[in-house]
Amino acid sequence: MDNRSSLRQRYMQPINRRKFLKQLGLAGVSLAAVPGMQFARAADKPTYFTWGGYNDDNFFGAGEVVTSGPFADKYGGPPNYAIFGDAEEGLTKMKAGFVVDAVHPCSTDVIRWRETGLFQAWDNDQLLHLNDIFPQLSKMHGAQDYRGQWFLPIEWGATSITYRTDLVDIQPEDESWEMLFDPRYKGKIAVIDSAADTWYCMAILAGVDLMQPMSDADIEKTNILMKKLRPQVRMFTNDMTSLGQALASGEVVMAISWNETPVGLWWEGHPVRFASPKEGTMTWFCGLMLHKDAPNYSGAHDIANSLTSPVTGQYLMENWGYGHANQKAFSITDPDTLAILGLDADPVAYMESGVFGIPQSDEVETRINRDFEAIKTGF
Amino acid sequence: MNIYHKTTQKLRRKLQRSESLKGYLLLSPTILVMAGIMLIPFIGMIILSLWTQIGYAKFDTTLTLNNFIVVFTNEMYRVLFSRSLVVSAMTTFLTVLLAYPMAYFVAFHVQRRKLLWIILMTLPFWTSYLLRVFAWKVILGYNGVINSGLLWLGIINEPITLLLYNPSAVIITLTHAWAAFAILPIYVSLEKIDRSLLEAATDLGDSPLARFFRITLPLSLPGVVAATVLIFIPTVGDYVTPSLVGGSDGYMIANAIQFQFGRGSNWPLGAALSLSSMAVVTVITIVYFLVSKTLTQNIR
Repeated sequence: MDNRSSLRQRYMQPINRRKFLKQLGLAGVSLAAVPGMQFARAADKPTYFTWGGYNDDNFFGAGEVVTSGPFADKYGGPPNYAIFGDAEEGLTKMKAGFVVDAVHPCSTDVIRWRETGLFQAWDNDQLLHLNDIFPQLSKMHGAQDYRGQWFLPIEWGATSITYRTDLVDIQPEDESWEMLFDPRYKGKIAVIDSAADTWYCMAILAGVDLMQPMSDADIEKTNILMKKLRPQVRMFTNDMTSLGQALASGEVVMAISWNETPVGLWWEGHPVRFASPKEGTMTWFCGLMLHKDAPNYSGAHDIANSLTSPVTGQYLMENWGYGHANQKAFSITDPDTLAILGLDADPVAYMESGVFGIPQSDEVETRINRDFEAIKTGF
Repeated sequence: MNIYHKTTQKLRRKLQRSESLKGYLLLSPTILVMAGIMLIPFIGMIILSLWTQIGYAKFDTTLTLNNFIVVFTNEMYRVLFSRSLVVSAMTTFLTVLLAYPMAYFVAFHVQRRKLLWIILMTLPFWTSYLLRVFAWKVILGYNGVINSGLLWLGIINEPITLLLYNPSAVIITLTHAWAAFAILPIYVSLEKIDRSLLEAATDLGDSPLARFFRITLPLSLPGVVAATVLIFIPTVGDYVTPSLVGGSDGYMIANAIQFQFGRGSNWPLGAALSLSSMAVVTVITIVYFLVSKTLTQNIR
């Protein structure tokens, strides 16, 4: 009994105000210092603003497949990531004042993005792999000028329909964008929630020439198809994981997707096919731009060099199913994988077999985005 | 020096005499913060809503009401507004309906450890809002808990696709997510009810049901009103639930606002939409308050 009361006295003694304030102050100071410590540690790493999913540590030699590389050696890990679900969303954040080092838009964005004045050209001398990049990509209209490379291509691929061969009744030679309108599959279709993919695929079906500036008639023609497509669609999504899961479970039987989706599903053993519609698939490529106020200028170049290196290219092709921009990556990639992806013969021919689009004017892009959203909502 | 001394003395005397001045002084840090983070952005929004977007990052700063005309004449926004209000009203109604019995049970039938019960009822709030929405996606999904359960029982042959991606999925998710906001105020007002009134009613021959409608329900109405307002206002503008479980049919006004500030790149229209939705909610809330006030007065 005595023991207990002395313990109690020791621990439960009434606390006086001064002591209480002291302890409160101590807790406050230590709490306030926590975020500061984190900032201090992370400051030397560059920030990479990219699509959700591309925050893959393997691109920087810090993952489970690619376990080492110059970037990880220098910084002790991957860069800081910031994520957007859609490039337009990313641009909006930067317009509102969000500053990063390197950003990951796609080819059709380049001209409009440059017009915002938020970017600067890369320092070509610091880009180690620039000369190995397919010239078809790096010399695209608007990608470079006398100041240097503005847009550094990294990966390219196709947008088409991934479908379940066991659930969709169609012969490979009959594949067409028309498949999406088949009344038998109403409510069993998923599409990418982005005008840059879904709307443009409908434009291909409408017979719009994507190499020309778009007219109002072109937009109207495509909108009519989009309106016809909308009741067929179960989900509009930017999340490729849920798209893949919906295909795997049979919740949807067809989906407009990038070639990452069928590759992932093949390897899990699902019966899927990436259609080659007779109107043409849509070829896209994406790359890196440098923010004009990049706080870590040389770090941004380290990100660029890591992403364009042949090792990253090999990882990207073997695990993501996209083509890489660095020509040297093809010689070190597993030939069987390249054969499955259809990249073995001539990647340039593959790239050019799809429909490439030129960047459209700001007005046209904005109108397309607004029309797409209104149609999606049901108007 | 003397003048300085006099004025400070005057001020001090004034301060000691005036209660309201003292109150404002006490409130001043809060008022400053509120002005900084609410009032100034709000004024900014009003100004922005009167501008016009030109091109990608530029505004025409001539003041015009065009954006508001678009908001109130465009059929799309009318449908989105009414859908948001209906979804929110349904959510509010269902939440209060489900929360009332729970609060009633704790207030009248739990004798010991009431605090523990209350804490247990707020348990869903211990996880993040986003996680709760995702949980409903898992429950309602194609391979979800409900579908696999029904398949296993042999009630259905094929998963029901109607559970997810529509306004009812939004209502279900919101109802669960906001439950605690209804339980707590209703519980407080039930707890406050003077038990001797109930005894008196019983002594005078009221059946339990009549007792409930004559005493318990009217006296707990302030809690119900508070719960309704607490749930209605934030759910009208909910963005994340419709975008995750609503699909394209469950698209609500907040999603349209987000679009204008994002891919639509029409910030003035987005600002006009937000202000209009604020105005609509304010009007509805005021009307609701006035109606419920007269109603409760009549009962007493």
